[in-house]
Amino acid sequence: MKFLESTGRYFMLLGRVFSRPEKFYVYYRQTMKEFELLGINSIGIVVVISVFMGAVIALQTAYNTENPIYPAYLIGLGTRDMIILEFSSTMVALILAGKVGSSIASEIGTMRVTEQIDALEIMGVNSASYLILPKLVATLIFNPFLTLISIIVGIFGGWFAGTAAGVITSESFIYGIQYAFIPYYITYSLIKTVVFAFIIATVSGFQGYIVSGGSLDVGRASTKAVVYSCILILLFNVILTQLLLS
Amino acid sequence: MIKVSNLSKIFNGTTVLDDISVTFEPGITNLVIGKSGSGKTVLLKTVVGLLEPDMGDIWYDDIHFSELSSADKKPVRQKMGMLFQGSALFDSLTVEENIMFPLNMFTRKGMKEKRERVNFCLQRVNIKNANKMYPSELSGGMQKRVAIARAIVLNPGYLFCDEPNSGLDPKTALLIDELIKELTDEYNMTTIVNTHDMNSVMEIGEKVIFISRGIKCWEGSNKDILESDNETLNDFVFANSLAKKIRAEMQKKNPTS
Ligand SMILES: Nc1ncnc2c1ncn2[C@@H]1O[C@H](COP(=O)(O)OP(=O)(O)OP(=O)(O)O)[C@@H](O)[C@H]1O
Ligand SMILES: [Mg+2]
Repeated sequence: MKFLESTGRYFMLLGRVFSRPEKFYVYYRQTMKEFELLGINSIGIVVVISVFMGAVIALQTAYNTENPIYPAYLIGLGTRDMIILEFSSTMVALILAGKVGSSIASEIGTMRVTEQIDALEIMGVNSASYLILPKLVATLIFNPFLTLISIIVGIFGGWFAGTAAGVITSESFIYGIQYAFIPYYITYSLIKTVVFAFIIATVSGFQGYIVSGGSLDVGRASTKAVVYSCILILLFNVILTQLLLS
Repeated sequence: MIKVSNLSKIFNGTTVLDDISVTFEPGITNLVIGKSGSGKTVLLKTVVGLLEPDMGDIWYDDIHFSELSSADKKPVRQKMGMLFQGSALFDSLTVEENIMFPLNMFTRKGMKEKRERVNFCLQRVNIKNANKMYPSELSGGMQKRVAIARAIVLNPGYLFCDEPNSGLDPKTALLIDELIKELTDEYNMTTIVNTHDMNSVMEIGEKVIFISRGIKCWEGSNKDILESDNETLNDFVFANSLAKKIRAEMQKKNPTS
């Protein structure tokens, strides 16, 4: 019952988010700010995680294909596909749900409990749209770049770890990452990223927007934002994979 | 003018506002007084439309506000300025950006004009050299004054203040009260101030509404508040010893009352 009610409120909030902005320029400037806060500031964590995960994926693939009947370039190929198909979209989205989601929920939640949202409403500003739309637009546009960065850096991490550990030569790794490359996989990965970005921004925005009470409730909302975003990301990962790859 | 008639508000079965009817006049400071928890904030939030009334009507001059859809409320809202109990400044914006926010959102003024308006409002509330500071770097009293500056930047017709001087020292509190009264006179605004501070009542209470447990018990001016024989009101007014002394003095001078 409560679940249905929340879902209803979530879609009602979405309706308010997508109404016409009062002043386009103010929203534009706010979106530029969010590019920096939610996008540029996430590059660091994405790069670090991608390098290490790429490295681990390459090494694990190597140790699982030690049988001489497998050609060595399979390591490059395997690393590439795993990173593109699953890691750089889904794993990165889960990590961003933690970083970006909690920051969105706590920022908006704090504005709610300190009456800043009421202050916006009193001025005649559509607070739902003003607070959530710029964040949504910024993540929808920027997260695909984060995914591309993650793919590139992840494959580099795999190459580095593989050659440094001596499990594969640089030539076969590079041959492997070019072998039987399916460009559609990139499209698939980017489509997932966009859907996940939508989930992170709107679910976290919703959790922050409906906070009532005090700072304790803001903390709870930000935990809920991360948990629900992650569950929805995993759910939609299954759905999208079935839709896009079958 | 704001007219409220037969207003009721119920939260999960508890009646917080019970059949309140009152008219708030322009150009004077209308005070709503009452004990903590009596429903002042709920009344104010219902009047401005942040809460939906369960019964009753709200009129802004000749606009039937409580009947409007939320989209139609917007133009009326742009004529409102509100000072919240906790100031509610946007903490990611500087003082200047806070005050400029309504100008950016609702006017087509150029940067120079907007700056001038911001500086004028800041000067009006006596804040200097704080344009680039963030709200967290200001004292409570300064935050309240910046919030007042933001509330008046669009020349509102209606000003709402929820406990403008709670948490301030008596002298700063007095300054803020005077400021609100001056601005009300100057721009002929309809001003509603929530307070439980008897000093404010005596200073600026041109019209006073007393509510107790969500019921309007008394209405009058600060001139006749000390002489009322309403018991609940007297309980509230003479809760402090200074007021008790004043009443004793008055009764000595005029033993018949
Ligand atoms: N959102 C809400 N849900 C349920 N009850 C509420 C809500 N808001 C206020 N109340 C109740 O309404 C009553 C009046 O609250 P209100 O905040 O209006 O008091 P107040 O007169 O402003 O007090 P104070 O001087 O302390 O600010 C309180 O008993 C409070 O518990
Ligand atoms: Mg209150």
